[in-house]
Amino acid sequence: MGSRQITEKSLVMLRSLPRLSLANIRDNPGSKKNTKRGRGQHGGDKHGAGNKGSGQRQNYMRLGYETGNNPFYLRMPHEPYYKGHHHRREYPPISLLEIQKLIDTDLIDITQPIDIASIVKSGLYNFFPDKKHFGINLTDEGVDSFAAKINIEVQWASEQVIAAIEKNGGVITTAYYDPHSLFLLKNPKKFFESGQAIPRRMIPPADVIEYYTSAETRGYLADPEKISQERFRLSQKYGYELPNIENDQCYTMLCERKDPRQIFHGLEPGWVVNLKDKCILKPKDDELLQFYAS
Amino acid sequence: MATVWRSQRAFARFFAGKTVRILNNASDLGAKLTPASISVSSTQNYSNYAKSPFVKRIKEQYEFDIVKNPPEWAYVERLMPFESIPNVTPKETYPSGWIPPKEEAKNLPYFIARTRNHQMPIYLDLSMKGTRKISLIRRIEGDIWLLNDLIKEHLQKTQKRYVETRVHELGRFIEVKGDFVTTLRDWAYAQGF
Repeated sequence: MGSRQITEKSLVMLRSLPRLSLANIRDNPGSKKNTKRGRGQHGGDKHGAGNKGSGQRQNYMRLGYETGNNPFYLRMPHEPYYKGHHHRREYPPISLLEIQKLIDTDLIDITQPIDIASIVKSGLYNFFPDKKHFGINLTDEGVDSFAAKINIEVQWASEQVIAAIEKNGGVITTAYYDPHSLFLLKNPKKFFESGQAIPRRMIPPADVIEYYTSAETRGYLADPEKISQERFRLSQKYGYELPNIENDQCYTMLCERKDPRQIFHGLEPGWVVNLKDKCILKPKDDELLQFYAS
Repeated sequence: MATVWRSQRAFARFFAGKTVRILNNASDLGAKLTPASISVSSTQNYSNYAKSPFVKRIKEQYEFDIVKNPPEWAYVERLMPFESIPNVTPKETYPSGWIPPKEEAKNLPYFIARTRNHQMPIYLDLSMKGTRKISLIRRIEGDIWLLNDLIKEHLQKTQKRYVETRVHELGRFIEVKGDFVTTLRDWAYAQGF
């Protein structure tokens, strides 16, 4: 390649290149040298914590402190609606409509008294005594269509529900069970297989004694005389004719109640049920009889 | 310890798995001490425990009456779980609104089978915090495309608007966009399923 060609080529290149100006001048490579060597990532900076103060020293103020202002969490008065909510008793609901559905599909036998064990047996209701569930709350959905004559025992019921059941000639009782008894009622077979004696049912705690002794709520500790008065009073209030239970065919079934110390219908505390040999062990010892007597 | 008991799950911990263990309201201590078996009398003090006499005459068990085939066995049997879900005996009326399946529904080219609890398998699926409502018809058999067309036609008639559906052939269900559970259940009962 001749020098003439080089000159021409350089001139062509110069023509196409941008002009030299203040905007595109720069130092020669290697002419500048940084005298400092930073330590750590990002050259030994503040690690994102900022400069000075509680931010850099990481001694943050306590939560809610507003550097001397009246804090937000103290500005309005305290109203503890849900105080102790995790200690309260819960009654998982089942409605009258669902009970009627269980009766219609033969999952509940109305020729026998109904209690929590027979409702759980249907497989369409469940509760967990270890999650502070203390039994059934019978709710009023389907009160108008309810048409079964039953002897039912639940743990909580409203006035309308009581009226709906008594209108059909049935009987309702509200009864308290302690969590240990509820474990047995939830799975009686498992308990009988464990080979233990059926324990006594405990009496209700102080705050629900009133509920379970009052005749208005058909408590199991209420006076039967007062309950019959209340039955009549409720029929007057809701305007229906109270069916006469005494002349009923299933009078004995409707009158069946548990003892306040009894957990299962017909089985007394202290008995041991042997499922394998189909026999029941009944205590003879005076000490035991005295213990299990209510 | 107090802090442990006051913690959130203290209650649950107390009852966890207690069904097969000894209950607090049972007196099942296994062995029994009679007054005669107590060796320590107030009149004599033994210099140490090893010199005291052995405890004797312990009754191993409480006395029980063993009743074979007791009359109360009916109450035990009543508590036992169902071995299988009972069949529904025909009744005059069903106040809950439940309707038994009809025989003539089996002749239709499509079919909706009942669940094991004799219920209609039509459900409401709520998602997106309750804003997305989908009615789900499960357990469909036979000509499901014809069933889909009929459902669409019925909903067009009752709702007076077009209703979107989706057929899952392999999963054997139809999804209907919107809450039409009651309408669809009534329609299925009327068909005899």
